[in-house]
Amino acid sequence: MPADALAILLAKHGLELARHLRRLVRDDDVAADLLQDTFLSAHGALGRLRQGSNERAWLYRIATNAALNHLRSRAREAAAMGRYAAERATTTPAWVERDTPGGATAETDPRHALVWARVAELPERQRVAVSLRASAGCDYEEIARRMGGTAQAARANVHQALKTLRKEFR
Amino acid sequence: MTTQLSAEDRAAGRLVQRAFAKLTGRGGEPLHYALMDDTPVGVIGLAAGPAGLRRIDYVDDEDQFVARMLHLFPDCPLDRSAALDPVRRELESYFEGRHFVFQALVDLSAVTPFQQRVLHELLKVPAGKVTTYTRLAARVGHPKAARAVGNAMHTNPVPIIVPCHRVLRGDGSLGGYGGGLPAKEWLLRLEGVL
Repeated sequence: MPADALAILLAKHGLELARHLRRLVRDDDVAADLLQDTFLSAHGALGRLRQGSNERAWLYRIATNAALNHLRSRAREAAAMGRYAAERATTTPAWVERDTPGGATAETDPRHALVWARVAELPERQRVAVSLRASAGCDYEEIARRMGGTAQAARANVHQALKTLRKEFR
Repeated sequence: MTTQLSAEDRAAGRLVQRAFAKLTGRGGEPLHYALMDDTPVGVIGLAAGPAGLRRIDYVDDEDQFVARMLHLFPDCPLDRSAALDPVRRELESYFEGRHFVFQALVDLSAVTPFQQRVLHELLKVPAGKVTTYTRLAARVGHPKAARAVGNAMHTNPVPIIVPCHRVLRGDGSLGGYGGGLPAKEWLLRLEGVL
């Protein structure tokens, strides 16, 4: 197969297929990816295309399948996102809602995994303070002792962390 | 080039350019092409860039033409586009003998400056008239350069529109033609010279 085979296919059919894909997915970046995938996989399978068979119809089939797969997986993703959002709304831990010292379960309960994933991204002093408060059940004096600083500063750090979490997990 | 593409075609064209850049490394100026597969002089391919028509080629089929364009313009993405519809219509009406003057711009930048001068001079020879290699050489100020003029005809990137078929030998015989002598004869007959 000549090295140019891919370029020849793209020159002959690229524009028409780009139009087709844009209409199907209504997003230029997605259509650009699908167009490239289509021609790459067509090029890979070119040897299997029988001489004289309709190259254009064949490319249309590859492109259409790629677009439909994309749309299906996007629909699945949207459904999954919907469930995720619903779950997230119902599992906000009590210690986030009210500033009460949590216990060991706060950290191990899998329903709280999302919250802890977010805690991991907080600024260090907030992260440490809220972790000591929620999972180790420390009061502010205890937190201040472990982290250094005052109980008042510990309270401020916990307060700031919880404010962020409440905003995102409501 | 000479036509306004729809917004949809322009957007689709950008996707093709992205694919060319990503998959083949061609990141240059995009070229458009069209094929006319049943003209009286056979199959011809047209290719144009932003500055005008860059090629008219006598070919066997589309694949041959496309492969040749990709080879001649190794940095250019290429697509089959409605951009060339106006030129195609002009050529159709020329082949039907309805008009002999072309509006389409030609881009001769791929040939040498001397060849460009010869081809621009040739553009002044109207349908119904002919000239010779020697006379054309004299008109560009190099009366002894008939052979170089012949070479310029040979490398003419846009035959028909730049009318190298209107150039004959000094003895009145046809001389050569890239599209084959029957094509040259047919064009001259169309223009009422033969």
